[in-house]
Amino acid sequence: MTHRDDVISLSGVLKTYQGGTAPALDNVSLTVAAGEVVAVMGPSGSGKSTLLNLIAGLDRPDSGTVTVAGQRIDKLSETALARFRARHVGIIFQFFNLLDDLTVVDNVLLPAQLAGASRGQARTRAGALLDRMGLGKHLQDYPARLSGGQRQRVAIARALVNEPELLLADEPTGALDTASSQEIGDLLRELNAGGQTLVLVTHDAALAARYAARAVRIVDGRIVDGRIVDGRVADAAAMAGVPS
Amino acid sequence: MSGYGAVRTATGGVLRHKVQSVVIGAVLLTATASATLGFTLLAASDAPFQHVFSAQRGADATLTVNPARASTAQLTATRSLRGVVASSGPFAQVSVQADQAGQPWGQLNLEGRSSSAGPVDDLVLTEGHWATGRGQIVVSASQYGGLRTGDTFTVTSVPGKPVLTVVGVASSLTDSVSGWVAPAEIAQLTAPGNPVSEQMLYRFSQASTFAQVRSDISEVGTALPPHSVTTADSWLNERAQDGGNGAIMEPFVVAFALIGLVMAVLITGNVISGAVVASYRRIGVLKSIGFTPAQVVLAYLRRVGWPALAGCAAGVVVGNVLAIPVLAQSSAAYGVGAQQVPWWASVVAPLGMLALTVIAALGPALRAGRLSATQAIAAGRAPRVGRGYAAHRLATRLGLPRPVGIGLAAPFARPARTAVTFAAIAFGATALIFAVGLHSSLGQAAASQNLSATVPVQIQQDGQGNDSGPGGNVASAAQDAAVTAALTAQAGTLHVLPVYYGQVTVAAMPGNVDASAFGGDASWTGYGLIQGHWYNAPGEVDVNTSFLTISGLTVGDTAAVDTGTTTVTVRIAGEVFQPDTNPQLYGNAQTLPGLAALTNLGQYDVGLRPGTSVSGYIASVNNALGQDSPWAATPPQGGQFYSVAADLIGMLALMVAIAAGLGVLNTVLMTTRDRVHDLGVFKALGMRPSQLLTMVVCWVAGPAVLAALVAAPAAVLLNDATVRAMASAAHTAVPASFFQVFPPGKLALLALSGLVLAAAGALLPASWAARARPAVALRAE
Repeated sequence: MTHRDDVISLSGVLKTYQGGTAPALDNVSLTVAAGEVVAVMGPSGSGKSTLLNLIAGLDRPDSGTVTVAGQRIDKLSETALARFRARHVGIIFQFFNLLDDLTVVDNVLLPAQLAGASRGQARTRAGALLDRMGLGKHLQDYPARLSGGQRQRVAIARALVNEPELLLADEPTGALDTASSQEIGDLLRELNAGGQTLVLVTHDAALAARYAARAVRIVDGRIVDGRIVDGRVADAAAMAGVPS
Repeated sequence: MSGYGAVRTATGGVLRHKVQSVVIGAVLLTATASATLGFTLLAASDAPFQHVFSAQRGADATLTVNPARASTAQLTATRSLRGVVASSGPFAQVSVQADQAGQPWGQLNLEGRSSSAGPVDDLVLTEGHWATGRGQIVVSASQYGGLRTGDTFTVTSVPGKPVLTVVGVASSLTDSVSGWVAPAEIAQLTAPGNPVSEQMLYRFSQASTFAQVRSDISEVGTALPPHSVTTADSWLNERAQDGGNGAIMEPFVVAFALIGLVMAVLITGNVISGAVVASYRRIGVLKSIGFTPAQVVLAYLRRVGWPALAGCAAGVVVGNVLAIPVLAQSSAAYGVGAQQVPWWASVVAPLGMLALTVIAALGPALRAGRLSATQAIAAGRAPRVGRGYAAHRLATRLGLPRPVGIGLAAPFARPARTAVTFAAIAFGATALIFAVGLHSSLGQAAASQNLSATVPVQIQQDGQGNDSGPGGNVASAAQDAAVTAALTAQAGTLHVLPVYYGQVTVAAMPGNVDASAFGGDASWTGYGLIQGHWYNAPGEVDVNTSFLTISGLTVGDTAAVDTGTTTVTVRIAGEVFQPDTNPQLYGNAQTLPGLAALTNLGQYDVGLRPGTSVSGYIASVNNALGQDSPWAATPPQGGQFYSVAADLIGMLALMVAIAAGLGVLNTVLMTTRDRVHDLGVFKALGMRPSQLLTMVVCWVAGPAVLAALVAAPAAVLLNDATVRAMASAAHTAVPASFFQVFPPGKLALLALSGLVLAAAGALLPASWAARARPAVALRAE
């Protein structure tokens, strides 16, 4: 049953890829409340990214229900899913996924334009976000000229431009050096402090321990654990499936 | 594993690249079919005649001489003139009137010849034996091929009405008489007062142009007493006539073959280039596990090998099938039996296309071979950084919807691929616009030639669409009256025009001129005018292009015309479009006295009142004439050439359009694969399927607009050049209206075919991209 404050609610979700012998997700149920930061952890191939894709509406489950921002999305058409993503979800990828042939500001304002904002509105919002990310001097630069940390900040600005209820981050520090990782982690915590709901898929035990209030551990497509200690994740390394 | 085995394994089966294989196969099919057809028409238009002309020692010039003015000795002396390399004759000739099977047959031009062999015009006896005795005749295969040995003629114009029995059928390239008899027979067939003429046949050292032949004839004429030569004919006329429709079709088939060929090279190069670019990482891996550069090159050549081979093989078959109706149209003209696609055309076309394909593929394959393993792995598949950025900035500033702006700017990231897309669309659109224009031009030519728009009904003997005259039945006054009465009685009749066909001679022109004398106002018949005007005053005539070419006269000149009964001076009022190697002259019966006789009555041209049903009219007239009448109403006959040409043009245009569409599809597919990850990102950011579809279609919209802008004028120029080349092959000029088939509105609409072609080619991969799940696209890098 979906609580009205839940931003995410998955119930009995099953997902098997074509040609796969075992399900990528097997009877997964999960709720995430508004304003919560949840870290999804687990070894490679455990189903973390599949879970994120289903929440983002990038893929569909074989069975079960997926409700995000009060909208059941597992049965939506591709067009409706696209509208849903544009309005309700921001996604941050490990390798940034910026469009190389668009300038920094164009990368950021693109989702706003796709969601129907005028160019003026979108530009104002993008400019403000990039200023906030410390990239005000790089609006007309191309992504190839930026450092990894700067690119990820552009990606975060892009994810936030439509003020989504939910921010999904797939290994947001996975391609960054330590300093940049720290910088991005602080940024995410700052966003959460402002009330942003965040689901974080990460191998980075330190990141999860430092910023997530709850961690969900997935092994072989099943959620096997989820703890909260003092508002922060305890024994994050063990949950991530890596030696502490 | 052997080296080649490793290459085969690494390349993978052709079926793994279905779309690219289909594209390569289809493009090569088009190009090979067009090339096969082009080679066939080239051969059909010239080679057989040259072969037969050489084998039969055809005459460069055929002169008819008045024996009353030139003696046999004087004629024999011309054999040693400078420039004469061989000669036959003199052969006595006489014209007689004859019946065949109890029906008037018309005129027979007979020649006395003791043998079919000779140093010039070696006749080929195709049936029976040579005429050696009294009452025997060998008929000309080209003129009376329907007759068989044993058939008889009764010569009605000679006292005693001797009977001639057909003992053989022979073919002559000179083709100047109806038949041959033994030399002694000529005297028996000469009626008192009927002149006998002598024929001389010559081969000259230089006779490859009309001017040279004219000069040769002039030299012979000068060596004989004045006014000895009554007619003279050139072998060039025969060659032009035998070239037939194959030669006329050749220009547009060659145009389509060239378009197909260029497209095949471009698209094949693009496919391989795309495969190399998309496989840089794979190439790096192959090299890192021990592949030599040569093996890498071979692996990428193999990728096009099988589909190219299949396309070429299918193209030869299609080219042969397409050639059948074309060759059937022109084979009758040769008199050398059925024509076939020459074996070398079926070999050279596919091998040539395969060679071009390999050359087109070799560049990118060599590039793949030269890449070092680390270079290849590092290069990945991304386009070079920096390309297309300015275009994106411009598209952003224009304020276009983002999917449209991004789509329009995308081609600048890969300029080479964009150039190929542009070329494929440009060639495809050019072919389509050209096909529509040529179809219109030929439609106008057909209407001008058979007058179907203005003369929807003709009354002809047996309704066969054949003119009367020699070989046909001679009309009687009663028949003429019956036809006129039947036509006058029809409410739908607007015009009735008897047309008389005869032959006249024109001063300073060799040979006879076909003349059409109209027994009334003919201005409504709508002959296509190339220059000048339709005759509208006594003494004026119109002529076709061959008349002007052969005579050297121009519109406005005057000429003395001998109609057989009198000589009149006529003024040439206009040049009409009537493609024919023979000179044609058109005038009123009063301007051409003596032609309007029942023996020359060929047909009646009928114009109908507006709203009259042609089929109903024809049925009504035929009902009134009755089944026993040799005359019957019929729609204008002829135009089979145009029908075959139109079908051929449609087929070739469709093939080129499909190839162009597949070329676009291939390019968009390759770009989609290259950018699959970006597409996933767009979708993840909220781009809807319809927006994505729009964006992908816009990838080709820019090149398509440019291609349309180039294709429209290119097609107009191509159409003009092709119509001129076809007209030249048909020995005619053409009215200016034949070129004016692209009014601006129509051209603009046709230019849209480039956009349609591009959209059609892009739509399939675009819809695949739009349907793909973003998670799949993001994983697909």
